[in-house]
Amino acid sequence: MKRLFALLLVAVLALAGCVQTKKDVEGGGDADTSTSGEKPSVEILGMASNENDLNILRDQLTKNGFDVVLNIQPDYGSFSAQKDAGNYDVALSSWTTVTGNPDYAVRGLFKTGGDYSVVSDSKLDELIDKASTLTGDEAKEAYKELEQLLVFDQAYIAPLYISNKAQGIYSAEVNPKTVRLPKSRAQVWESISFNDESLNESETLVLHQAISTLTSLDPIKGNDGSINTLNTNMYVRLVNLTDDDKVVSDGSLSYNHVMADGNSEFYFILRDDINFAKVENDTAVDTKELVSAEDVVFSLNRAKDPNSVPDHRTYSIHENIETVEIVTDIAELQNGKVAGSDETILDALSKGLPAPVTELVDSKEDVDNASGKYQVVKITTPNPFPQVLNYLAHQSGGIVSEKQVSSINTYDVANYDPNKDVAYGDQATVTEGNTYNNHLYASGPYILVKKNDYEATFVKNPAYRVGSEYEPKIKNISVRFIDDNDSALSALRNGEIHVLQSVPETKYDVVTSDKNLTLNQADSNAVSYLQFNTSGREVSDSADLRKAILYSINQEEFITYYQGNKRPAVSTVSPLIDTGLKLEADKEKVTEFLKAYNESK
Amino acid sequence: MKVISNGKLLLKITQEYGNAHFTLSFSAIFSFLFLLYSFNFNSQTVRPIVLTLFLIYLLTTLYVWFISKQIKRDLATSREIQKRTRLLGIPLIFTILVGNIFSSSYGFTLITKNKTPEYIFAIYAFLTQILIIGISGLNLFKPYVVDSFLLAISLFIALTIFYGVMLVLVANLVSSTFAPKWMLPIGIVLLFPLLTGNLFSFLLGFGLIKKARNKDASSIEKWQKMWRKILSNSMAVFGLFFIIFMFSLSVISPWTFDYDFATENNYSAILQTPTLEYPLGTDDFGRDLFSRIVFGAQISLIVGFSATVIPSVIGGTLGALSGYYGKKTDNIIMRLLDILYAIPGILLAIAIIAAFGANTVNLIIALSVGSIPTYARTMRATVMQISNYEFVESARALGASDSSIIFKHIVPNSLAPMIVKATLTIGGAVISTSSLSFLGLGVEPHIPEWGNILKIGSTYLETHSYLAIFPGLCIMLLVLSFNFFGDGLRDALDPKTN
Repeated sequence: MKRLFALLLVAVLALAGCVQTKKDVEGGGDADTSTSGEKPSVEILGMASNENDLNILRDQLTKNGFDVVLNIQPDYGSFSAQKDAGNYDVALSSWTTVTGNPDYAVRGLFKTGGDYSVVSDSKLDELIDKASTLTGDEAKEAYKELEQLLVFDQAYIAPLYISNKAQGIYSAEVNPKTVRLPKSRAQVWESISFNDESLNESETLVLHQAISTLTSLDPIKGNDGSINTLNTNMYVRLVNLTDDDKVVSDGSLSYNHVMADGNSEFYFILRDDINFAKVENDTAVDTKELVSAEDVVFSLNRAKDPNSVPDHRTYSIHENIETVEIVTDIAELQNGKVAGSDETILDALSKGLPAPVTELVDSKEDVDNASGKYQVVKITTPNPFPQVLNYLAHQSGGIVSEKQVSSINTYDVANYDPNKDVAYGDQATVTEGNTYNNHLYASGPYILVKKNDYEATFVKNPAYRVGSEYEPKIKNISVRFIDDNDSALSALRNGEIHVLQSVPETKYDVVTSDKNLTLNQADSNAVSYLQFNTSGREVSDSADLRKAILYSINQEEFITYYQGNKRPAVSTVSPLIDTGLKLEADKEKVTEFLKAYNESK
Repeated sequence: MKVISNGKLLLKITQEYGNAHFTLSFSAIFSFLFLLYSFNFNSQTVRPIVLTLFLIYLLTTLYVWFISKQIKRDLATSREIQKRTRLLGIPLIFTILVGNIFSSSYGFTLITKNKTPEYIFAIYAFLTQILIIGISGLNLFKPYVVDSFLLAISLFIALTIFYGVMLVLVANLVSSTFAPKWMLPIGIVLLFPLLTGNLFSFLLGFGLIKKARNKDASSIEKWQKMWRKILSNSMAVFGLFFIIFMFSLSVISPWTFDYDFATENNYSAILQTPTLEYPLGTDDFGRDLFSRIVFGAQISLIVGFSATVIPSVIGGTLGALSGYYGKKTDNIIMRLLDILYAIPGILLAIAIIAAFGANTVNLIIALSVGSIPTYARTMRATVMQISNYEFVESARALGASDSSIIFKHIVPNSLAPMIVKATLTIGGAVISTSSLSFLGLGVEPHIPEWGNILKIGSTYLETHSYLAIFPGLCIMLLVLSFNFFGDGLRDALDPKTN
């Protein structure tokens, strides 16, 4: 018996020897936290929808010796409220450059006094202004310098990743080849067609949007997810962005456009095959009024003037426009040269016109392209600013009817009372019910007939480039409002909606394995980053602390979590210009900066 | 003694026969599930381990079926179960090694005629400990174990042996009214394993002390009668077993499980299917689902218990006061509570959390406040009835103060309905906790909590369904256990059936 016990004891000891305990593996105490003394505390502000990012950040910062507090807000409203109140050290933010140009990715965000900026650094302001005037490799160098200052030297932001776009198409009914997935610009409706083209006339195309409260259908009064796509398809612009963010005249109001030598004068030659449409008895009718140069001048002048309407949300985008005018002197075009070439402006504008230019006319009454009578618009900027073209391609550069808008907006802007005065594009005028009184004049391929909380109904503009490849294919479109992305995906899977613009990363498998669906993937300009608080917090005063946080971030882990469907970022400029810089997690640097921070306290 | 001559009736009242069928059906269900899972339909291959389990469970099922036939024959021929048949239970005991708790406990109950509540407690204390060792033992497949692992496991093994010895002693020496005097100190020792969460050991110790002291025969009889009623209800017993097992597991988890596996992200092991290292797979952050569920039980149980105890104490006191004093007091308290009652519970909880932030304490408060009125109503009704009884009158005649009448005479006699109500609503509290976490209003997302785990699982329902199935099953089983146990308790405490 004794022997048995002894044997058992030996066996247990031997077994116990084989088991590795945590102490064996980690080899004693935590080395890195002991040096820095007290753990610095970091409060991360974010939204519940970004819970996964917050968790990864929490994990990375904790492992690097920070004490992390998460401040998770349920929606964007409460997130903004917390952010405005300054209740954060770092705020998990995201930015999508919808104009496709690098200036837009930095001006509003980081310039002193910018729309969304909390940063105030004169050196940074200088770099932003300098970079905006340049093109090509010069611009690349300038933006590299800017990123170096913004991210690595001062660490005002800490980048996380660039998102990809993924679009789900119900290809059992909709022809997936006709559904474009542009990097920056909003969904293109006019090209979409059903597999069976005979259905285009009778069947309704059902699209999706998350937000059902529309800010305004006046293109300059909103710049958010609720109206971007709708207004882009309701108002034509002077130029458009291609799927990979090149500025072109295709599918726009101009035949051609030209940047004159000196990079501060821009010419546009207008087409005469688009009329405004209006709604009568739930259907669109042709007003027979041409979308003309007068309307362009009117639209862009009000776009750049902060006082043209109450709640002007987009004038800062267009503040670089100095003048907008109609050119009547053909000699000006003959003498002017295209930037970086010997070609005359007239030659450049004349490519592919229905008839050669014989006369430039002032009034819309006289326009007749077939007999050589054209309208040309000229835009000037105070400084050389080639990226102004990208801004003109933005939704807020949409052309509205001078006659209609002036007749509706008769109130006094300074004393505007939203309860009494009705502004052009007010969503109440298109919402079903007592307030319904649709006064919209659409210059784009579609016009909004009416909306409720469930959907918005659109019909095609009967006078939009009839007979050309840009004529809208499908007659009726309904935009279904579904707030929850997972519900929207379910709706797509059973064919309730035909196109879903944002398939979540974790659901790609579901879409690709469904034979009724097609998944379209493309790069996007959406960047996720951490915005550091710039006033009243430890991180506001100590660049060392900010840099310690910056180097704690391991972008590879984010990318692994999203199953490779994200890309590394350096700043909000990264998706537009690859400056060659790279952020790599570095534990040694973290320790070093934390030490410096502790010493400076 | 009355002799039961009707063979059918005899079969019906013989517990062993009924339990055989109960065991039979559960073993059959599990063997069927194992059979289903033994074939991997995706890769068209057989999972050998699962197939072996299936065979063992199938054999067990057939064996139990054979035993039930034997019992039937015994009862028909000699009106009682033969010793030979009882010995057939011994092999069944070992099925605990493959986790078949049903047949193992059946084996234990079959081998002896002398089924005191203490014996049953000893069985389940033993089984609980073995399962705990088995579950904790799975951590050996991890790259490392926590520092206290070996010590804790040794302690558990020692406890298991102790329970095993007690099992034999109790079976042979303890009767329904009597236990030898020398068992008193052992009984006291048996109270301590409560620190490992093994409530069965505590109950066993408590019973032994009671019987060994042999002071109050009526209290022993009451104890004996109540537990006999509860324990004769198989579903209630397994409910109690699962609750105590989960409780024990969550109490000992810090000694045998590493919290880092449950909270630290591991990007090299994202979304892995179940293996020995990760018995229930990993989630989208590479965290071990098994560890998360074990640690999650802590919060679910703590919040569940607290959110039941707090309102039952507050509500009980308010109800007792209003029931005893009546008139204006009653009117004021009950109308105020009616107002509270009119606010939907979950909405109130959401509002409280939205206002004060999401953490465990606020979660408990939020869930407690809403359920105060129902407890007050239950208590008030019972107190109103009891305060008219003669023993209350006599206490009052003897000049006892109001507070001593309420808390010494009335409240102890009106506890039964409160206990039953609490057991039945505790499941609801567990569900509410998980629901709030699922909605993102409970504890912080990285902290393991069943609702949080289920939330992540719901995203991967189609591609990695195990992420949702396991936490879902746990919530379901725990709530079901509370409900079954509550039912058993109600039957046992209901004065009408007594």
